[in-house]
Amino acid sequence: MTPFELAEPKTLKEAVGLLDADDPTVRPIAGGTALMLMMKAGVFRPSKLVSLRAIKELTSIEIVKGELTVGATTPLAVLEHSEAVRMHAPVITRALRTLSNIRVRNVATVGGALAHADPHMDLPPVLIALGARVVVQGRSGARTIPVADLFAGYFETVLAKDELIASLIVPAQDGRRAAYLKCTTRAVHDWPALGVAVSVAADGKAIKNASIVISAATETPMRMSAAEKAASGATDDAALRRAGDAAAAEAELISDGQGSAAYKKELVRVYVARALRAALGAA
Amino acid sequence: MATRTIGSGQVGRSVPRLEGAAKVTGRAEYVHNIRLPKMLIGKIFRSTVAQGRIKSLDVSAARALPGVYRVVTIDDVKTVIPNPLYGPAFHDQPILADGKVHYIGEPVAVVLATDPYIAEAAASLIEAEYEELPAVFDEIEAMTSAAVVHDELRPAGTFPDLKHLKGKKNTNIALDFHLRRGDPGKAFAEADHVFEHTFRSQQVLHLPLEPFVSAAELTETGLTIHTASQSPSFVRIEIARLLGWPENKVRVKVPYLGGGFGAKLYIKLEAMVAALTLLTRRPVKISLTMEEQFYTLTKHAATFRIKSAIKNGRITGRDCEVWWNGGAYADIGPRITQKSGFTAPGPYDIDNVSIDSYSLYTNLTPAGALRGFGIPQLVWAYESHTDMMARALKLDPVEFRRNNILRDGRAQATGTAMKDAAIEAVLDRLALRMNMKAPFDHGGGTVKRGRGIAIGFKASISPTTSIAIVNVAADGSVTLYCSTVDMGQGSDTANAQLVAEVLNIPAESIKVVHPDTDVTPYDMATLGSRSLYHMGHAVRLAAEDAKAKLAALAREVGVPEGANVPVAELFQKKYKMQAGNIIGTGSYIPSYVPPDANGLTPEATPFWMVGGTGAEVEVDTETGHVRVTKLINVADVGRPVNPRIVETQLSGAAVMQFGFTMQEKIELDGGQITNASFADYKIPSIVDIPPVMQNEAVESEQGSGPFGAKGVGESGTFGVSPAIANAIEDACGVRLTELPLTAEKVYRALRAAQGKPLEE
Amino acid sequence: MRTIHFTLNDEAVSAQAAEHHSIVDVLRDRFDLFGARESCAQGLCGCCTVLVDGTAVSGCLYLAAFVDGKTVTTIEGLAQNGKLTPIQEAFLETGATQCGFCTPGFVLMAGQLLAAHPDPDDEEIRHYLSGNLCRCAAYPEIIAAVKLAAGKLRAGRL
Ligand SMILES: Cc1cc2nc3c(=O)[nH]c(=O)nc-3n(C[C@H](O)[C@H](O)[C@H](O)COP(=O)(O)OP(=O)(O)OC[C@H]3O[C@@H](n4cnc5c(N)ncnc54)[C@H](O)[C@@H]3O)c2cc1C
Ligand code: FES
Ligand code: FES
Repeated sequence: MTPFELAEPKTLKEAVGLLDADDPTVRPIAGGTALMLMMKAGVFRPSKLVSLRAIKELTSIEIVKGELTVGATTPLAVLEHSEAVRMHAPVITRALRTLSNIRVRNVATVGGALAHADPHMDLPPVLIALGARVVVQGRSGARTIPVADLFAGYFETVLAKDELIASLIVPAQDGRRAAYLKCTTRAVHDWPALGVAVSVAADGKAIKNASIVISAATETPMRMSAAEKAASGATDDAALRRAGDAAAAEAELISDGQGSAAYKKELVRVYVARALRAALGAA
Repeated sequence: MATRTIGSGQVGRSVPRLEGAAKVTGRAEYVHNIRLPKMLIGKIFRSTVAQGRIKSLDVSAARALPGVYRVVTIDDVKTVIPNPLYGPAFHDQPILADGKVHYIGEPVAVVLATDPYIAEAAASLIEAEYEELPAVFDEIEAMTSAAVVHDELRPAGTFPDLKHLKGKKNTNIALDFHLRRGDPGKAFAEADHVFEHTFRSQQVLHLPLEPFVSAAELTETGLTIHTASQSPSFVRIEIARLLGWPENKVRVKVPYLGGGFGAKLYIKLEAMVAALTLLTRRPVKISLTMEEQFYTLTKHAATFRIKSAIKNGRITGRDCEVWWNGGAYADIGPRITQKSGFTAPGPYDIDNVSIDSYSLYTNLTPAGALRGFGIPQLVWAYESHTDMMARALKLDPVEFRRNNILRDGRAQATGTAMKDAAIEAVLDRLALRMNMKAPFDHGGGTVKRGRGIAIGFKASISPTTSIAIVNVAADGSVTLYCSTVDMGQGSDTANAQLVAEVLNIPAESIKVVHPDTDVTPYDMATLGSRSLYHMGHAVRLAAEDAKAKLAALAREVGVPEGANVPVAELFQKKYKMQAGNIIGTGSYIPSYVPPDANGLTPEATPFWMVGGTGAEVEVDTETGHVRVTKLINVADVGRPVNPRIVETQLSGAAVMQFGFTMQEKIELDGGQITNASFADYKIPSIVDIPPVMQNEAVESEQGSGPFGAKGVGESGTFGVSPAIANAIEDACGVRLTELPLTAEKVYRALRAAQGKPLEE
Repeated sequence: MRTIHFTLNDEAVSAQAAEHHSIVDVLRDRFDLFGARESCAQGLCGCCTVLVDGTAVSGCLYLAAFVDGKTVTTIEGLAQNGKLTPIQEAFLETGATQCGFCTPGFVLMAGQLLAAHPDPDDEEIRHYLSGNLCRCAAYPEIIAAVKLAAGKLRAGRL
């Protein structure tokens, strides 16, 4: 790590003002868990970090008009233990349990978990499947971006360098059921080799429509539209497996230390079906 | 584990670790804690090519960074150490790359600064240009490749069997060990069945949580090195040799180690900090990062081709060819090649054997000793092979082993007769605890279940010397001085128990002085499970010597024999005040006969270690995921000196090998390690280990050992890998021959077995 | 450089720290506290664990500047007047420490676990400690230690 300047603004507006649209060496820091890794590895040498820790307006969890609203600097551990979150979208609570470890969850924030844009992260596919969106604050005001549209590529978002995620909004789920399966290949607890998040509207075991997202094995989290089509109207296990086959056919997968693309294709096939099964069984 | 005490009740008792309180309060002393006045911190700049000539090295930007004290290259080092090559078997490793680099990650230059962040930033500003040369990474290719790692071989002269390699050119073979016993050709010609298989062990590494760390300082009388080393005596001798100094000008001090597992043997950073301190006349400390451990020492990847002749259910002949991937510097690899070569055919009674074992240089991080000293790589092969043969012959795997194992009195491959090796007892207990006779539920649907066992053995290290001193103070309190390093294995506590047993006092009352070569006597090294046996002997002898001297003192001051007068009173009577000491000394070197031209010797080892493992697994046939649900380890440890520590050593060793079996592997891309961190190289965590783990030491006694004991630190590793592979085949019918046993490999094997292989 | 003020093991302290210094750097260099130490430097092993305002964090990933105004507890702050806590005693008695490098992290995490779940089962223990690594693999003994400590703490509360 090399020396840098550390700014600690008290308001969101002030924070945005301290960022610089043209200088990649100026960045916001929230929990710092991801940034510290990058700085220690020497892949990021900041000139200035703008800490979001002193901004009080970003730390709430509320239900507003039936929608769950989470401030961007809410630590993941707070999210994990929030009763409001568990009532609203229990899949988030379950997914957090195996996201990294307790010490990291105590510090890492919701905003960081989205803005970091590492395709191996667990929350993005879940939030996409739930139809969530983020409120982004820039110099000229706020805009709303569906999480599904947030990721531009490997470790890349569509955010400008002087924009901040202010909050996350998860819409009412209206009885939809969701599941997230994290498949690891190198150890039981690890970054996922494949993440599969699904959300279904179903009548008993009959799926009306499904939202199916895979991550980690792909460059960014991806909706599997052919699989979604195959799953809608599914009434038996064979149909769930057909959805798995469809996802395996459409997914563009990456070979890496966690497995070859050919193997991950088989994982997609199996895990999409399993995730749909889990969602049908889930509350 | 059952308590079996003897005599004074000190041996056989689960004495809590003497240093336990210091460790649970975070106050135990490690080299990590050392800060010396005006100390400089060194950060290493490393090679980015696997084999090449250094064309230029530009350190100007690093030197110019404010706060940098000095940038050091090999030319600087040579001003204080003209011949800066070191190593235990070969003098082949330079303190910094000298003209050539031999692996990616090799140290090329060092930046010194008082602020570690500045040193690190400066190191990243150094630029080197290389003329790349052909490199070789695979141990089999290294046998014949045009790429040759070293221009000329430089054996250290310490080992007679390496002398013939001196000056050899155009070869990567750093040692070849050959053994011939009986007539294998005939055995194969007359066999009912011949089986041949090849197995591979991957490159893995130790990764103690305390990475390598050493500091040096100049004193009035010479040089003091504070180092996380398993071999302080060797460091002293080697540094003295490099400097051309007498041994007594070099002082090596070792506090607790945050793990070692063989990584911290011989010389690692010590020569470097010594040179830097002599150059700057200031204390210098180097603490490696976790990543840098990957560029320091690994465990040998190995290929093992094994072939057996079977007649009437007996193994009548066996050919073993083993190739050890030694990396760019020999370290102790040649010894591994030979010592493990002794037992390559396994714990089986086979009359006709041939063994060829080769230590090879390649352009990878050097490989050295790691918990098991080559044995786990061998057991992986021979016990997988054993199961495959039993399966093909439709024989019960336990009975097939029982029909073939070595029993006491029978000669092992080297010709050395087995003694106090409870191989059959280990096999029996294992079969019993695994309930191998009972029917087994192999599961159904997509989850299949299986079970497997494996047994292995190991010869110890000989001839090596240990010396100990026991000091009885005038108040009767006792201090033990020895250079055994407690790196977590509990040697301080076990050695205290041996002294306590002899002197009939509580082990907890004994102080164990940590290795400090100015104070503690010579010990070859803390390795190969030799501490309890070799040092244990010396410690017991030293305590007995002290005891005899106390008895003499009693006679001298006129105390009748058996009068039970407190020790303090004896001193008081003699010196008329609280004064004086009694010093007991002990020294031990087991006998050994070096192998003859055929690799045979009547005395290959002072004792045998025996260990076996049973595993139950569940295989998800849709994904290849394997869950080991039960792991049972049984070993012959002689008499357990400290049953709790024995148990934790067995289970710790087994879990380490479990990691090497299921998940650990150094990934390489053209000689570049691509997963040099805990994020990508996964060691077992608490959620990875089998939910059921049981450990047992069979009833046994090492006749020649101190109080019947022998080493225990490695035996838990032996059987783990093949037991799991055997269980996987039992579960789902596929056989893996290359470690680690990843889900993808299992899945691919399943697909291949269905005739629908998965594309690459 | 800046001056940070915080409460360290029940004592109000202040220290000079550069912006890029981690809390582990400051504890080691300014306070001679070595029980939190960097090993993996990636948040994975727990050797650097400290409690900030009572919550466990990986000190290797935590800037010292962020503890300004907060309370920091390290392993050295647990035993009062040389008397081990029940958790420390349990680690000692079950043989849950081998080389000891990982031990402070496990002891601190076990404290967090038992505060939240006074009578944890194996599953809960594994879950809580899954972010701590022990290369000596004293895991079975660590699980036993946590259970023993739970009993001691419950008995102490009665
Ligand atoms: C040991 C370890 C294991 C992990 N394992 C997992 C895992 O299994 N699954 C998983 O999903 N994740 C895992 N992670 C990643 C973890 O989720 C991220 O590190 C964390 O979510 C980042 O949050 P943070 O607040 O610490 O971000 P920071 O490190 O502070 O920032 C991360 C990035 O986001 C930017 N940023 C932060 N907040 C905002 C904001 N409000 N607006 C705009 N940009 C912002 C920063 O500039 C930076 O680029 C792991 C991390 C560690 C250290
Ligand atoms: S050093 Fe911080 S978690 Fe490993
Ligand atoms: S006791 Fe050595 S790392 Fe845990």
